[in-house]
Amino acid sequence: MDFRRFTASVPTLIDLNDIDDSPGQYCMSFGFDIKPLINSIEAFGLINIPFVTRNGDGLMDIVAGYRRVMALKSLKRDKIPCIDFSDSGLSTLELLNFSLHDNLPTRTFNNVEKGMILNRLNPYVSKRALRGDYMPLLKISSSRDLDILMKIEGFTKPNKETIAGGKISLKTIGLILELDKHSRPAVFQMINDLRFNFNQQLTFIEYIVDISIKEEVPVPELLDEDQLKGVSHDRKLNTPQKAKKMLDLLRTRRFPFLTGKEKGFNKKIARLDLPKNVRIEHPPFFETVDYRLEINFRTGKELKKTVDILARIEGLDKIEDSSKKDL
Amino acid sequence: MKADVRIDRILFEEGADDYELASLILKRLNRVPVEKIIPDTPRQGSDSLNMGKETLRLVPFKGEFFKPCPGTKRYICCGYQILNVGTNCPMDCSYCILQAYFNQPSLRIFVNLEQELGRIGRILDEHPERIFRLGTGEFTDSLALDHIAGWSNILPGFFKGRKNAVLEFKTKTDRVEGLLSSPYRDRVIVSWSLNSPDIASREEHGAPSIRKRLQAAKRCMDEGYAIGFHFDPLILHPKWKDGYMRTIEMMDRYIDPERIIWISLGCLRYVPALKPVIRKRHPGTHILDGEFIHGLDGKMRYFKPIRIEVYAFMREQIEKWRNNSGLYLCMESDEVWTKSLGWSPERTEGLSNYLDRRVREFFTN
Repeated sequence: MDFRRFTASVPTLIDLNDIDDSPGQYCMSFGFDIKPLINSIEAFGLINIPFVTRNGDGLMDIVAGYRRVMALKSLKRDKIPCIDFSDSGLSTLELLNFSLHDNLPTRTFNNVEKGMILNRLNPYVSKRALRGDYMPLLKISSSRDLDILMKIEGFTKPNKETIAGGKISLKTIGLILELDKHSRPAVFQMINDLRFNFNQQLTFIEYIVDISIKEEVPVPELLDEDQLKGVSHDRKLNTPQKAKKMLDLLRTRRFPFLTGKEKGFNKKIARLDLPKNVRIEHPPFFETVDYRLEINFRTGKELKKTVDILARIEGLDKIEDSSKKDL
Repeated sequence: MKADVRIDRILFEEGADDYELASLILKRLNRVPVEKIIPDTPRQGSDSLNMGKETLRLVPFKGEFFKPCPGTKRYICCGYQILNVGTNCPMDCSYCILQAYFNQPSLRIFVNLEQELGRIGRILDEHPERIFRLGTGEFTDSLALDHIAGWSNILPGFFKGRKNAVLEFKTKTDRVEGLLSSPYRDRVIVSWSLNSPDIASREEHGAPSIRKRLQAAKRCMDEGYAIGFHFDPLILHPKWKDGYMRTIEMMDRYIDPERIIWISLGCLRYVPALKPVIRKRHPGTHILDGEFIHGLDGKMRYFKPIRIEVYAFMREQIEKWRNNSGLYLCMESDEVWTKSLGWSPERTEGLSNYLDRRVREFFTN
């Protein structure tokens, strides 16, 4: 289809009240800040005109220019110039492609928008075309990601705003989607409140799912426990500190034996009162047999002095075999 | 178990009709619809939960039929050799590693096995000084599809009289009719994967009970086969000590310990990618509840002191029954060996030598 004959046609003045407010079947915008666009229209007028088509209710659906129309509505304009596709004979798929290509060169889509696009295309194109043609256009790297993106529209508006803001990774969204519907809002809330980074999000979900299954406590109930809720309400901590404390609490609960050993070891080492340039570490997860001693020094003399001090430290010989139940 | 293998469809790969085994299988399953197909490309990115266990694919396999068990330098390996006769299994154990390979769905039987045996024989003959311990139970259960594939008819005859090799059929089933009707006993070991009765009933879906497995083991033992057992994966669960003791008590009831060539122990371990698959396919399972850490081979395994405790307990119970049972650990460190079993083969060669000695003791001719 050659769209040029339509895009070059004479605009029609359309009453803004005749344009449907809701993001119709062509809308590909979510979670945008409309203020810069309002300022631009106020300063320079409407540079690119919207494209519309009449829907079954007699109103106009926006094919391209949703944000512009919303900005114009905010500015209380009454009539605006539009290209009207109503009698163009263009199919829904052609109009969707038109809308997609109106956006593609000028901006990147957030994950909510990608989901909207895929869901709008889905009834009109095959799965193969969705994967072969549209995945590369939308820079989607795997079929699994595509499946996750298509499910995002089912989230609540506040959750979608978090997703659109890029505060939550696609991998995390995938994990949230695997939770039951009652658990999702509570998990979202906690991720939002504690602003976990992407790695922390994955760890957080893994811990709470593991604990929930192990202790047979539903996730919402678990996250509603005073100890965990208390972390997010703790005024003495800043947000990254809260995030760390939450993960520490969950890790201790998930791995009581391992964390107990780690704490016991750290306590024992702290009691040794080692010189500041010396560190003793246990092997990762105590899986191998060897501890690690690290000495920072500037001269051989300093090294020798440190070794002498170490040799005299009482209790150094009490560091025991790492596989013993109690260190 | 015997009635539980349901094949709804046979996919007959191009080239399979060159092999007699394929025709035999079609005869054995003459009521099952057959679809001729070209060899498939691996399924890309599928997250399907269905492993296609009702579909049997007859494959002229182009890969390696014979290869060493993929051990790692960081843990002591038994030096086992895999005889690759097929992949996937009609049972559905919640911990099974094969679940991680969704790109290779359906039960697969390699129909060119007999033609490959000559090549395998030449490899064995080139190293008369070595003992080759081969097994078919790595990528499939050795006997679950035996009534269809006839492995017990094909393989024992090949191993008979080979002084430097033994073949281990490793199974969870009680499908031993094929073996019992085989005239060969020499160089063949039949072994069972065992667990606590609770784990067997809750996690080993479609597998016979421990009692049935041990009754099948007794039948094989009575018919002159060397017997092995594998407590792998050992899984922590409520009252796990009682559970494993019950299994050992049942072993005592059915098995003459003198006829056991070896018993292996291995705690549950899994590649990290398997965890989400287990969560999806077996949402009620508690097998992942334990304290799993990243092992030196990249697999998740129980925190070391827990493993030592489990192995030491199992050793104590098994040794109360029989002192010299060929007990060994699967993929563990020298330290864990020493602290749980009281000795260590130190490295893979040491364990291989130990198991080779067991073979020489059991198969003296």
